[in-house]
Amino acid sequence: MDRWDLSGVSEAIGGTCQLNRHLRVVMLSWEFPPRTVGGIAAHLFNLSRELVKLGVETHIVTCDFPGASESEVVNGAHVLRVDSYKTPSPDFATWDSLMNVNMQKEAAALIGSYSGKVDIIHAHDWLVANAAVGLKHVFRIPLATTIHSAEIGRRNGLHTDYERMIHQTENWLAHESWRIVCCSQYMSAQVRWAFGLPEDRVRIIPNGVDVSAYENEFDRAEFRKRFALPEEKIVLFVGRLVYEKGVQFLVSAMPKILSRVNAKFVLVGDGGMRDSLMRQVANMRLAHRIMFTGFLDENILRKLYQIADVCVVPSLYEPFGITALEAMAAKTPLVASNTGGLSEIVEHDFSGTKVFPGNPDSIAWGVTRVLLDPGYANWIKLNAYQRAFRVYDWAKIAKETKEFYEQILKEYGGGSWKPT
Amino acid sequence: MRVIIFTWEFPPRITGQLAYYVNRLAAELVKKNVDVYVVTYNDSWIGFHQGADGIKAYRISDKVRPHINVLTWMLSLNQEAERVAADIYYLVKHEVDLIDVHDWHFVPAAVTLKRALKIPFVFSIDSIEPHRSQNSDTPLSSSIRSMESLGMSEAARILVKSEWMKQELKRHYNTSDNMIEIVSPDAESWIDGILAAYRKRLEAPAN
Repeated sequence: MDRWDLSGVSEAIGGTCQLNRHLRVVMLSWEFPPRTVGGIAAHLFNLSRELVKLGVETHIVTCDFPGASESEVVNGAHVLRVDSYKTPSPDFATWDSLMNVNMQKEAAALIGSYSGKVDIIHAHDWLVANAAVGLKHVFRIPLATTIHSAEIGRRNGLHTDYERMIHQTENWLAHESWRIVCCSQYMSAQVRWAFGLPEDRVRIIPNGVDVSAYENEFDRAEFRKRFALPEEKIVLFVGRLVYEKGVQFLVSAMPKILSRVNAKFVLVGDGGMRDSLMRQVANMRLAHRIMFTGFLDENILRKLYQIADVCVVPSLYEPFGITALEAMAAKTPLVASNTGGLSEIVEHDFSGTKVFPGNPDSIAWGVTRVLLDPGYANWIKLNAYQRAFRVYDWAKIAKETKEFYEQILKEYGGGSWKPT
Repeated sequence: MRVIIFTWEFPPRITGQLAYYVNRLAAELVKKNVDVYVVTYNDSWIGFHQGADGIKAYRISDKVRPHINVLTWMLSLNQEAERVAADIYYLVKHEVDLIDVHDWHFVPAAVTLKRALKIPFVFSIDSIEPHRSQNSDTPLSSSIRSMESLGMSEAARILVKSEWMKQELKRHYNTSDNMIEIVSPDAESWIDGILAAYRKRLEAPAN
């Protein structure tokens, strides 16, 4: 039986199941929980769980992590953790190339153990480009890639050979991929522009959020005391403290907001700008109005979303904007920059308040509007919650991802590039 | 017998004496009725070429440039070597007996092809990193050394050109005696020695 002959699959297993019973996918990612560096780990954790529920046999090949098992089943997905190359290497990109040697070696053995009968190889970002492209050719399995973000956007241009190399690796991976997933129209447009791809090569499937994770019961008043006085409204920011997240503009908006509302600003996350932000608030004599929490445990962060009176996402560059989605799921009124993926998640005056990116006056306007008008705040937060539930549901995203795989397999089945 | 040779230099691209050696090796193997494919790097002349000597050469080039060092360059070039080797494999209906990989550059590709398509490889050593870098322990050098170690632990046989190199491998990599085959290129029976080493691999149980 040819593995791309989908009609034969249900026949081979007795005709009792739908044709996708046997869809087998190998995902490659440099991070998977408990190894969590950026957003891909959580993305894969949720996506793989829901794909398994749809009957997709999901394998994830990823880097090892202290204390994590080399091979285990997580929510039905098979996770294989490979030696991430721990000998000193010259720099991050070179380490990544060396890690890919191990990843490709182990993934080759895995796919080989199924005699090459894997339907899709799914790569996540340039960090696994080497392994993914090699495996594609060796087994002649179609390659799908999710481009979560692009170097040219992360760095706001390409300035060094190091950045150009990463950009060209992304370009190579994009062109070797059968089709590409991007999480927003903004990212799709950026990827098509940066790598010269036609529109039909890129499919937009958004990121998701697990709404049920924000429905836990706890003593809100008691938890709130850890962050603010009872009479203070909590203004929450979640993100790395780096330039492109725009947190400096929120800090600049503090005096204007505080002239009208009694509030406490809680900044979750860390980054290179922390010291300069601290100096900025000290110079404004507002240090008692702000709290830098650093990185927070996931459970604490979820509670914090739930008790916050407003969540601000003031980014300058944002491929998607997962923090906005988390606020929506937690029923926290949202104030967000009208930029990138954020502008697609938030509908102004309906599921949030949009403000001009990089503009403290605009941010102050948005925040005070939400804090001073409880009826408005309630309206946007309930609409946002509905939207998170309806549009950004992982089960729905997994269904779209499965359809994406099936589309590729259909095209692959009609072509001549196959193992012979 | 059908053999794919991986080498990072092959005429007209000549950076050291390895290019001449591999050229002579491939030509002699052809005379012994071995079906020889050479997969090699060339900056501009890419694709398939079969010369009057009967050697079938596939020249590959960078898909990614610029690069920041020799490792990122070679390690992304390895995917091109895998692509071409897989194309040969599917073209000849899986009948590839052996890959002969010369020095560390294409070791990762050989390892993947062994794991994926069960094509064994022999690792032919012309020079090693401890000699080239004067025992440097910079991260770059130690990373290259780790690629050499990977090749030695995954290869079916290791071919060297002298007793001296054999001793050096034992000294630097703890390579076991019975893995190493010495075939001197100066010997009368050189090509027969190479073929014997290849065949020894073919008769051995797959590892």
